Amino acid sequence: MAEMNDTPLVSRRTQRVLWMGLSLGVIMLVIGFLTEPTRAWSSLFVNAYFFMTAGLAGAAFLALAAVSGARWHLPFRRIAELLIATVPLAACVMLGVIAWRFAQLIGDHTETAHPLSFWFKEAWLEPKFWLIRTSVCLAIWTLLSIVMLRQGRRSQPHTITGSETAFAAMALIVFAITLTVASVDWTMALEPEWFSTMWGVYQFSGMFQAGLAVMILLAISSAERNAQFRSAFQVDHLHDLGKLLIGFSCFWMYIWFCQYMLIWYSNIPEETSYFMVRTRGDWGPIVIASIIMNWVIPFFILLPRTAKRSVTVMKRVAAVVLIGRWLDIYVMVYPSTQGATPNFAWMEIAGMLCLIGGTPLAINAGYSRLAVRQHEASGSQVQLHLNV
Amino acid sequence: MKISACTEKVCVSFARECDLLAAIQVAKQEGLPLLDALTPYPVHGVETAFGWKSSRLTWVCFICGMIGAVGMLWFQHWSAAVSWPLDVGGKPWNSLPSDIPVAFEAAVLLAAFGSVAALFVACRLRPGKDPGDLPSRVTNDRFVLIFSGDSPGGGQANIEVAMQSFHPVEVQTLP
Repeated sequence: MAEMNDTPLVSRRTQRVLWMGLSLGVIMLVIGFLTEPTRAWSSLFVNAYFFMTAGLAGAAFLALAAVSGARWHLPFRRIAELLIATVPLAACVMLGVIAWRFAQLIGDHTETAHPLSFWFKEAWLEPKFWLIRTSVCLAIWTLLSIVMLRQGRRSQPHTITGSETAFAAMALIVFAITLTVASVDWTMALEPEWFSTMWGVYQFSGMFQAGLAVMILLAISSAERNAQFRSAFQVDHLHDLGKLLIGFSCFWMYIWFCQYMLIWYSNIPEETSYFMVRTRGDWGPIVIASIIMNWVIPFFILLPRTAKRSVTVMKRVAAVVLIGRWLDIYVMVYPSTQGATPNFAWMEIAGMLCLIGGTPLAINAGYSRLAVRQHEASGSQVQLHLNV
Repeated sequence: MKISACTEKVCVSFARECDLLAAIQVAKQEGLPLLDALTPYPVHGVETAFGWKSSRLTWVCFICGMIGAVGMLWFQHWSAAVSWPLDVGGKPWNSLPSDIPVAFEAAVLLAAFGSVAALFVACRLRPGKDPGDLPSRVTNDRFVLIFSGDSPGGGQANIEVAMQSFHPVEVQTLP
């Protein structure tokens, strides 16, 4: 048990590099804020949203597993809990990002003419009400994630208690409502006159798919570093995660296409505005790239059984899915805030640096706490589990 | 040895799948003439215990699905844009988005029918085929191992002794 701590998830050297990347990203964003505030905000928002939803996906995964009576995920439930452990931090970041936008909206006094049917949206998107809703959603998620982590800590290795299942069922209902509200408020409201009734489920599909990809990468790297976890995390677990990844890739594509086709078919100007910008001109290839990375590649590569059981293949596909997820959010946000031509320069790189540097650091914080706790408990019992 | 070529089969029934899996391993080690296992539902690990290669049915399924998708895309394009151009709501004749749902359904349909048909062909199954003599309760809740009774070491007495420690419920010799 003593070797538990020997190899951290992220080595000290890599940690230093990540801290440097994160600080550089933050500094660049501050400079961006002084020069081009809306663009700096967009860049920060894309990455904060990625971070936030990845953490939530871990919670959704565990809750769904508990509700469906699954037991197969128990040997690596700590991996999902590592993701959940990032939710409070992500919620703080997100609150900052939304408050920044709030300050921008309050300062903006330009009146725009809206159609008469717009009165409800005007009331709904009233900045103060909007900020309150966001805060409530973030507070609920933080609370749910803390309760889930507590339950996980108290749980026995191979069981899920009835109270955990009941809590998971309640959490899923609350989560479905708050996620829909938050995604409508944050991303759909970037183009206030546009609407899609599939928006909530579209956000969920992308979020869950990316969450699975992060969990696959985390599980593989934990197994590489920790002999105990390696003996618990079998190739069958990887296989099952691969099946879920291919399934949710298809789900994402299905939902994406449903939304696209309904809008394309009815061809109403107030609905088509979203896809007009995104499928024509320079955004077109980026949308196609996100489809290739989120569905074409995972689907065709992960179809054979041997691919889902191969660590190398799964690692690469999961990485591709994460890039695809980033592009998906980028295409969702940037045309609304930055106009019809894609722009990718130092400001976008700054946001990405924050994400790439910050996420492993945040997860590693949970991972090293987990290793320490394992040490305290060592000697008492052999547990094929990582303790968060 | 093919199961159809075997004139005498020794069938050992178990009540639990763990007994079946352990029995397969021991039978393999001792070189008993194992033919097949019959289970009421798919049991994990039976194929690996037997050492069978993975089934090629998945390829049949994939190819049938692809034929369904591509064939349906081509057919819709041909029928709505080439053979008899149709104006639907002012859309272009060759409107790909409207073809996708039908192509998807055709892919699923052909993949499903294709794999069931391939399974029937591979197993020489057909409606009304005489199943012959079956071990009792094999279609119900028993896990059954079939040994060849003709091969050396395949006599019922010999197999009964070898399988004794795995709690066999019944041992029968069937034609």
